[in-house]
Amino acid sequence: MKQNFKVALAQISCHKGDKKANIQKIEDYVERARRQGAELVIFPELSLTGYILRDELYGLAEKIPGQSTIAVEKIARKYGTYIVFGMPELSEKAQATLYNTAVLIGPKGYIGKYRKMHLPTHSVFEEKRYFRQGYQAEAFETELGKLGLIICYDIFFPEVSRLIRLEGAQLIICISASPAVRRTFFETLTVARAIENASFLAYVNLVGIEDGLQFWGGSRLIGPNGKVIATAKYDEEDLVIGEIDYAEIRPIEAFVPTLRDLRAELFDKLKEKTEKL
Amino acid sequence: MPNPISIKGRTLKLTQNVLNLNWEEVKTKITHFIRDYVEKSKAKGIVLGLSGGVDSSTAAALSAMAIGGNKVLGLMLPERETYNPKDVKHAELVAEKFGIKTEKIDITPALEALEKTIPVFDPEDKLCKGNLKARIRVLYLYYYANKLNLIVCGSSDKSETMIGYFTKWGDVAADISPLMDLYKTQVRKLAKHIGVPDVIVEKPPSPMLWPGQTAEEEIGIKYETLDLILYGLEHFMKTEEIADQLGLQKDLVEKVKRRWQIMEHKRRIPLTTKIQYRTVGFDFRLPFT
Repeated sequence: MKQNFKVALAQISCHKGDKKANIQKIEDYVERARRQGAELVIFPELSLTGYILRDELYGLAEKIPGQSTIAVEKIARKYGTYIVFGMPELSEKAQATLYNTAVLIGPKGYIGKYRKMHLPTHSVFEEKRYFRQGYQAEAFETELGKLGLIICYDIFFPEVSRLIRLEGAQLIICISASPAVRRTFFETLTVARAIENASFLAYVNLVGIEDGLQFWGGSRLIGPNGKVIATAKYDEEDLVIGEIDYAEIRPIEAFVPTLRDLRAELFDKLKEKTEKL
Repeated sequence: MPNPISIKGRTLKLTQNVLNLNWEEVKTKITHFIRDYVEKSKAKGIVLGLSGGVDSSTAAALSAMAIGGNKVLGLMLPERETYNPKDVKHAELVAEKFGIKTEKIDITPALEALEKTIPVFDPEDKLCKGNLKARIRVLYLYYYANKLNLIVCGSSDKSETMIGYFTKWGDVAADISPLMDLYKTQVRKLAKHIGVPDVIVEKPPSPMLWPGQTAEEEIGIKYETLDLILYGLEHFMKTEEIADQLGLQKDLVEKVKRRWQIMEHKRRIPLTTKIQYRTVGFDFRLPFT
């Protein structure tokens, strides 16, 4: 397993509903990122299709693995990189049951997926109308260490990041489609999740305007001490490379020993109180 | 930007401060939005009505900043009854300052011809007659839009849209309405920020449907107060709380709230009744392209 490597935050806007064009864009960004030495390239939430698709999601969703993940696998093999991107997933066992999913692909092919657990259905968001929530947080074993995936609104719920950290992930990858009015929330929470878990956190947000919603970009790589290692521009497409060195975790984990001090008994209390909210 | 979550205490404090935004950021967002929409729709530019008032001047200025004044056409559409040379002068002032092309068309002959063909036309009914003027202006805007492949940019603000102070299928008719999420007093601040001349920003707003009409007199409340009431309603505040904080009679706040609620029919596509699987206006949900 590598201790240090470069990660690329591929902050793109999407061609709405045009998977072919978006896969082409993924390849273009992977190629550019690879030239700059990146071994992991991360794209935003639902970057295969765009975020606001409403009823068109039913026609665009695919099984995983499926045609689109196979196309992205080819890109990963060709450039020898890991790729994370988002797509609407069609359940293997049903015909119109969808998930908002993050996919992890490596140089040797498909590795795993994460189905978004917290689906925002408030304000301008209507995800529960279309998606079924996921039930499993997982960290995936790779040459770049264990990688954990979360999606956008999940970051408001520290338990998801905590779970994948406890699974062994030292890099939490959060793919996102966040509109501009929520920028300060994410700028705060991304740093918080990194610090409280003594882990690296890569946040990659969408840009562009979909149905009047302006996605703010501002993708960032954060170190285990909360330091912002790399940031992408606001509001426009960008490709930013940041370097991860897992050796940085050890001194921080000793300096702010949040993992050592975790109190298991509180989680039972949390469960009990949450059920009675 | 003010953030309701960051405000301490049980209820929002309704002061003029809550209406303050980062105007440079707002300008950037609106110009991005306009540019993006024009590009995606593959239109050649924008056409809008230029009345010389603060809303249309601001919409025109932002359009020019977004796509260049040479791609923005401002139609001045005066008519005899409400004609005021000052308004035309103000429209010209804005057009000149932001490099917008203009065309002036007197709509009086069209209006009079139309009135003659309506058997029940009542010249004394100033509201019906006024609405006719607002709707006739839309015909001109959409003719130019069709003919020259332009987007019609509306200039409705949030205050007027919320209380339904506009003509149904009239002045509100447009392809995009970039100011619709800004209250009137916020439009004024944005206007000042982007350099719309003070003489326009500071004059009393009027829909110009009949002579001497001013919005605040007709609505019966100053925009400074109305905007705070509407802001409170937007943030789920109770009418008692709003009235209490602003030192107003509860009845007045209730009246504004009722007006906001009953005007929903002016803000949506026409209601139908559900008969089939997916229905326009209910659950036929498609994104804009």
